Amino acid sequence: MTKQVDERIIRAENVDKIYPNGCHALKQVSLDIKRGEVVVIIGPSGSGKSTFLRTLNQLETISEGTILIDDVSLTDKKTNINKVREEVGMVFQSFNLFPHKTALGNVMLSPIKVLKKSKKEADNEGRELLKRVGLAERMNNYPSHLSGGQQQRVAIARALAMMPKIMLFDEPTSALDPEMVGEVLDVMKSLASDGMTMVVVTHEMGFAREVADRVVFMEDGELVFEESPERFFESDNPRLQRFLGQVL
Amino acid sequence: MENKSHLLLWKGLFLLILIGLGFGIYASSKSIDYTWRWERIPQYIVSTEPTEIRAPFDGTAYVDDATNTITIESDIGLDPLIIKDFDEAMIYDGDLVFEGDAVAEQTGWTIGPITWGLWITLKLSVVSLIFAVVIGLFTGLARISHNPVLRYLAITYIELIRGTPLLVQIFIFYFFIGTVLSLDRFTAGVAALAVFTGAYIAEIVRSGIQSIHPGQMEAARSLGMNYVQAMVNVILPQAFKRTLPPMAGQFINLIKDSSLVSVISITDLTKAGREVVSSTFAPFEVWFTVALLYLVLTGTLSWAIQYLEKRLSASD
Repeated sequence: MTKQVDERIIRAENVDKIYPNGCHALKQVSLDIKRGEVVVIIGPSGSGKSTFLRTLNQLETISEGTILIDDVSLTDKKTNINKVREEVGMVFQSFNLFPHKTALGNVMLSPIKVLKKSKKEADNEGRELLKRVGLAERMNNYPSHLSGGQQQRVAIARALAMMPKIMLFDEPTSALDPEMVGEVLDVMKSLASDGMTMVVVTHEMGFAREVADRVVFMEDGELVFEESPERFFESDNPRLQRFLGQVL
Repeated sequence: MENKSHLLLWKGLFLLILIGLGFGIYASSKSIDYTWRWERIPQYIVSTEPTEIRAPFDGTAYVDDATNTITIESDIGLDPLIIKDFDEAMIYDGDLVFEGDAVAEQTGWTIGPITWGLWITLKLSVVSLIFAVVIGLFTGLARISHNPVLRYLAITYIELIRGTPLLVQIFIFYFFIGTVLSLDRFTAGVAALAVFTGAYIAEIVRSGIQSIHPGQMEAARSLGMNYVQAMVNVILPQAFKRTLPPMAGQFINLIKDSSLVSVISITDLTKAGREVVSSTFAPFEVWFTVALLYLVLTGTLSWAIQYLEKRLSASD
């Protein structure tokens, strides 16, 4: 007798984004994402992939179209966007950790302030999460005393502390030194295998091939092509071929 | 080795220049036949002169040596005055006393006008500082608000205040606003200083907030915090740390600017200095003392803020 839930947790339809300066960043982008699915978005810089990702938690507003997150419309004026954001975690290219808080403080802040959890509960959960991303030893360090890879793992733990249903990753490894990329990708892989719904903008083709359920290619604000990774990398789409030729 | 001796040489030169300056002041005062009378100053800071207790009405005084009390019985049946706390009686048992007569002396320390002025300056500065920070914080936030009404109001306030002299503002506050709202001198002075300093603090707050990377706000909002929560928990704590040095400068300015309120007859340190000059005829000593006391206030503040900065730098 369970309630029938929509398989599709994210439904973006004909999303258009035009900046005030006239730049047409997104053109009629439509994408449905199922629960537990890992979708990787690739494309050249300026293709609108980050912009699209940021519309999914309304860090970017959209000009036209609709976005539904778990059946809640983001364009509806009555929607409390803060409630939606509680369920959509985001990890940024430049980490954006709060520099005045320790690693644990970063993870605890939102559960205490937004979810009104007790300090003790948030502390316990925060420690658990930091252990999960392999930072049990560094909980009391300030971000400035952590390496890039460690900072990004704290940022993932911080997003997970809100117990989101969806995780958005905006080029999470692009600002990292090469030797630190692996540790962050490992955390993301384990998250994917735990069944988290993930939308990842990345240049890591290996990650796309290995972890993604679906790979999406964007160019010039358009969603050009989407396919399972096996078929994606075998595709003979000329625009994709040109891009892959440049990055691989 | 050579470097070290060079450093010593420069330090020696620095000391020599200071001594030279001191001597210059001494010599120039000599050349105008100024006689230094430093001994006149301490009594205006702390007075050891005995204070007299005076009779409040006409009557008869009774001195009881056994219990060391003076009782003054009123001629017209008012409640008798009983003085216990005195060091020397100036009347004898059974004397007739008239209103205003000194009946006893009390020895001990009393604070002089300069110390009193210092206290008024301190009180003036602290009270205006608190209001200035509140005004500055809200105006700074309004200044970067997306709401045009708030933004334009903030800009108008800041431009009006920064474009007019503080002295003129003090007069306006005292003679116009003070009269309309019937404010006393001290309140008018505090209001003028707070409104003036608030405009500058608003700009410091604005630049502090804008210096925080926009990613911080995005991260906070993406975690479900609303605008106010993000401001209070993420942006302002970081901006606070970053604005401490300019804030310190502004606070020190406030202490110094408070000397201007002496024009509306608030007896702050500066006005106290002027009064003491007129009774001592020792302007050099008094103004040097006053300057030194201002320096103590500003120096303490600047030390306290440096200490705070150091404590907050744990996350750097």
